[in-house]
Amino acid sequence: MAAPKVAVLFGFGINCDHETAAVFNLVGGDAQRVHVNHFVSGNLNLDDFEILAVPGGFSFGDHLGSGRLMGNRMRFALREQLHAFVAAGKPIIGICNGFQVLVKTGLLPGPGADTPLPDFVQRASLTLNDSGRYEDRWVTLEFDAESPCIWTKGIQRIDCPVRHGEGKFVMPSTTDFDSLAANHQLTVRYVDPKTPVGQGITDQPLPFPLSPNGSMRNIAGVCDSTGLVFGLMPHPEAVYAKWLHPDHTRNTAPGPLSSDALGEWEGEGLQMFRNAVEYVLKNR
Amino acid sequence: MAVTRVEVTPKQGDGMRDVRGDVVRRQLKADHNIEVGEVRSINGFLVKSDIDKSEIAQRVSDLFSDPIIEDVQTDLPFLSSSEHFPITPDAAITIGFKPGVTDNPGSAAYDGFKTIFSNHEDRTDAAISTYHTYAFYDLPDDVTSEWLASTLHNNLIQRAVISDSAACAAAQWPAIDFPEKPPQTLTPPQRIDLEISNEELISLSESGLLALNLEEMQTIQTHYRDETVRQSREAVGIVADAPTDVELECLAQTWSEHCKHKIFASKIHHIDTETGEDTVIDSIFKTHIMKPTHDMQKEVDWLLSVFHDNSGVIAWNDEWSVCMKAETHNSPSALDPYGGAMTGIVGVNRDILGTGLGARPIANTDVFCFGPPNWEGELPDNLFHPSRVFRGVHAGVRVGGNESGIPTVNGAIVFDDRYIGKPLVYCGTVGIMPRKLPDGRESHIKTPTAGDIVYMVGGRVGYDGIHGATFSSLELTEESPSSAVQIGDPITQKKMLDMVLEARDAGLISCITDNGAGGLSSSIGEMAEYTNGCEIDLAKVPLKQPGLSPWEILVSESQERMTIAVKPEDCAAFDAMAQLHEVEATPVATFTSTGMFHVKYGEDTVAYLSIDFLHDGVPQLQLESEWQTPSPDPFAPESISIPGEAGHSELLLRMLARPNIASKESWVRQYDHEVIAQTAVKPFVGVERDGPGDAGVIAPIHGDPHGLVISCGIAPRYSDLDAGAMAAASIDEAVRNAVCAGINVDKMAGLDNFCWPDSIESVKTPDGKFKLAQLVRANRELERVCRAYNLPCVSGKDSMKNDYGSGEKKISIPPTLLYSVFGDQPDVRFTATSDFKNVGEKIYLVGVSKEELGASEIAFMLRDSGEATGIGGQVPLLQNPESNITTYRALSTAIQNGLIRTAHDCSEGGVAIAAAEMCIGGRVGAELDIDGTGDASVWARLWGESLGRFIVGVQPEDEADFVEWMSGHPVTVLGSVTDSNTLTISDGYDLLINAETHSMVEAWQNTLDMTGGVA
Repeated sequence: MAAPKVAVLFGFGINCDHETAAVFNLVGGDAQRVHVNHFVSGNLNLDDFEILAVPGGFSFGDHLGSGRLMGNRMRFALREQLHAFVAAGKPIIGICNGFQVLVKTGLLPGPGADTPLPDFVQRASLTLNDSGRYEDRWVTLEFDAESPCIWTKGIQRIDCPVRHGEGKFVMPSTTDFDSLAANHQLTVRYVDPKTPVGQGITDQPLPFPLSPNGSMRNIAGVCDSTGLVFGLMPHPEAVYAKWLHPDHTRNTAPGPLSSDALGEWEGEGLQMFRNAVEYVLKNR
Repeated sequence: MAVTRVEVTPKQGDGMRDVRGDVVRRQLKADHNIEVGEVRSINGFLVKSDIDKSEIAQRVSDLFSDPIIEDVQTDLPFLSSSEHFPITPDAAITIGFKPGVTDNPGSAAYDGFKTIFSNHEDRTDAAISTYHTYAFYDLPDDVTSEWLASTLHNNLIQRAVISDSAACAAAQWPAIDFPEKPPQTLTPPQRIDLEISNEELISLSESGLLALNLEEMQTIQTHYRDETVRQSREAVGIVADAPTDVELECLAQTWSEHCKHKIFASKIHHIDTETGEDTVIDSIFKTHIMKPTHDMQKEVDWLLSVFHDNSGVIAWNDEWSVCMKAETHNSPSALDPYGGAMTGIVGVNRDILGTGLGARPIANTDVFCFGPPNWEGELPDNLFHPSRVFRGVHAGVRVGGNESGIPTVNGAIVFDDRYIGKPLVYCGTVGIMPRKLPDGRESHIKTPTAGDIVYMVGGRVGYDGIHGATFSSLELTEESPSSAVQIGDPITQKKMLDMVLEARDAGLISCITDNGAGGLSSSIGEMAEYTNGCEIDLAKVPLKQPGLSPWEILVSESQERMTIAVKPEDCAAFDAMAQLHEVEATPVATFTSTGMFHVKYGEDTVAYLSIDFLHDGVPQLQLESEWQTPSPDPFAPESISIPGEAGHSELLLRMLARPNIASKESWVRQYDHEVIAQTAVKPFVGVERDGPGDAGVIAPIHGDPHGLVISCGIAPRYSDLDAGAMAAASIDEAVRNAVCAGINVDKMAGLDNFCWPDSIESVKTPDGKFKLAQLVRANRELERVCRAYNLPCVSGKDSMKNDYGSGEKKISIPPTLLYSVFGDQPDVRFTATSDFKNVGEKIYLVGVSKEELGASEIAFMLRDSGEATGIGGQVPLLQNPESNITTYRALSTAIQNGLIRTAHDCSEGGVAIAAAEMCIGGRVGAELDIDGTGDASVWARLWGESLGRFIVGVQPEDEADFVEWMSGHPVTVLGSVTDSNTLTISDGYDLLINAETHSMVEAWQNTLDMTGGVA
């Protein structure tokens, strides 16, 4: 079967496009870096791709708020193409700045389960870290096992770097969170690595730096009601191999013991991308 | 056009914070110990547009504000709103830009404005300027709003509008207006009469900021007396018997110290009063740097390109080559730390992009030298406090690097009182390129031919950045010009970078270089040497604002620009690519083979200089150098009373807290160090990921563990005794750091970046001969050590005027060499880090401790505190580098073979500090005995900084193999890692140090944490 075609957006300050394309290719995807304007101008059609990735970076310098200007470009110039992509049941991931973009276009967390197609209404935001600082540091993440998210199936807990200044996930009211929680859309949270695996998730705000940004309910990432659109602030692509984990020099980097991609050196972040590729292959 | 004022402020309420305001509050506490109750922030936009105000007002929440977290108001200041700001503040301050200063948020907002009003015919004429307003509550009485404003802005580039408490009480809020640049009128080229006296020539050079000396001015004068020159000028219709202002400016830029490295190229009469040596050195660059590297180039096949390009290129494997360049941006960073440092980092990124046919930047390094951040002494006029320089420089480099998506993998921060006079801001970048392009050309070779079209790509040309190159060739004064300062625009550059690399792979580029110092004059002028000529039309150059005169267009150093040559048949494809990426690309010149640098403005010739005269006409400087060994008061530790057993333990904690040694983590963590997903050894390592890393290790090809090491060394303290020893120590430190990471010592290259005080004897610099002798000695040591290490210097730079003021007030920096190393690492899975790995690990010293405490960090600490009388004594020397490198090779291969996973170099603070840092990284204790590590005194074995030493950790089961592997090399067992959480160091039966790990962590981490906490 032909490898799923992945469009990895770049341009205007997106800067994790190379590695994001590389990790899809490591797990059997056929990823291509595509400049946003190729879709805007109609040179290329989003419809010809099966997965869309909006990578990390500083689109438009994050001036006027992270992801906002890129979000606007997509909201205004790619509205129909994005709507059709989601309606066709194709997976989308936004990582870091890409997550901020998806939140600001309104694709995440998206409308309720009864009307799951995009309405491009912004319901949440990602704002300045409580610390006021951009930081690069490693965090521990735990995933909601019951989340409909197709990207995170079977993943329990991983270590990842966060690299952002605006990663605090906020919504106007607690009822917003409750309904997302009920639908298991609060897919991934920052947790204390000392807690037993599977018991880390808590709604009580964790102290810095366990939660690097003061995110409400320790939210690191959310999915839409279909589970196809997913975004997170941490960078799973940055730990595609164990040699990128800070503990590899101590011989204690976690991850699978063997893999088709990198043997015993596959990192914990790669499974997320494999999940999407396999989902596409299964659902063609 | 009407100006619409849009203001945005964070919503108040559950879990919502005004983080921008709170950061200001925390920094006032951290830097000035001022407690303010609360600070609130407002972001403002001044939108100048023909679009109807009401139409703009309807769309503000689509563009300027985030509906979830922010409130927005149009044409009504938030401060006047009792709903949003119910309590009257004690002060309100608005900060905006001065006219003509780069306003990145403003340009981004304008871009977004065009998206929103994409169908509006009036949209393109708009302009947007941004400002910030801060409202202060519970301000202490003794803090004036004027003082607050002065800490919040730099009046060189920004404006502040202030409402003090009385004004606030009267509801008079600060209202800033749109920064309108006064209209400029184009001045046509002027004839500059050079038939004037020598005094007048000098004053012409000085008043015009040309930075040319008398002999250089006379050389130009003579050139225009030449009959053949006059005839050829007449033929093209330019003034025949004198230069135009365009020509004189162009020559001043091209001949500047910054561009021509005149001191490194000079003929030096060198006298050594000690040895009686009396010699002439014809260019220290050619003699001590170029010649050794060219000799090494004959022996290896991996040195692809050295010296002549924007960075040095080495073959990394069969498919990829890597290159590296480091630059300094000292003078601009002194005037505007943020903008100066940002243009430093994005500028050196362009050097990489301009290497060969274009390399991709993949890693940055940043090394800063500042005055002490806790300085309490006097500050000379016009200089910022070191803590403010530190914050600004750090922020500039952080924003420049992070927004460009290039990880900062290695660096250092060094403190010395004398860097108050001039901070040093070294920015380095590593690049990678495929060795062969799809069209078969080798990527490291530029291939221009006459007839190629020369494009200016990226940003536009403005008044910002006129005279940067000549200005940096002068000392800082109170009147230093603001036009020499610029703010970088990383996003414009990132768009350009994306586009250029696509154009490279499509085979559209025949030649490329960046626009840095000297602007188009230098970039096109240098490339024109390939084809022996060019013709430029300055009227075609896109401008930021109209009215620039031809000479200003030619020499402006406005940022984010590359100069790219394209074959005529490829221009259409190149234009299309620029359009896709929304990058401005304009053909402004053509390569010729006429031998002339021919500049026109429309139809008129405004400069007509031969390529030969432009590039080779500058006369060689003749300089005097005289060495006398400095003899500062000696450091005599035996006279210092150490109170009992705890003595050295107390010194250890004080040393760990010294800014030169203390952890820089709170600063470094704000750099993205792992974008591109390749960083295998991060800047901080160990159990809590807060122990010091020795070198950056990256695996740049995804899926492949083949690595690259990047490291640096810097040791300016030693210049107080011998700048030669300083240079040797810097190189050795850089190599040792790289060895710890497992570099292949037979495939590594170096960069020499010299920062020196003025070394030309004059009234201003009476000790110029000595300073030049320091430079001679540093270069001789550089040659000796690099030859022994087989370490080619593939690229470098010098900054030779690092002084402030004159006479009594003069501050000269200590002569400083930053040496950077980059090289091959066979497999990043086998590397070593400084943190001890586990209890029971055996600890060894590699190398020998000698009686070398001169200019050591402990000597400086105890002299500064008054406990010691001086820092003099024997400075660390590299007596037998040939034997060092064989030991390094043995150690590095032990690491590559997995025998060693723990290694740390001994530098500042010697064995004691290295061991302490290794315990901190591993959060363990250790028991060490320094008996047998050399014949030196206890002080020297504990604190001395003898070169060539490492502490390594070996697993007990590997110990025998390690000892065998290292046989023939100086290796001494020190002890082992313990579960005591205490570091003990003894000398035989004498216990010297007994320090708990947690107290070492605290001492090491607190000094430089100036964040003011988390929230």
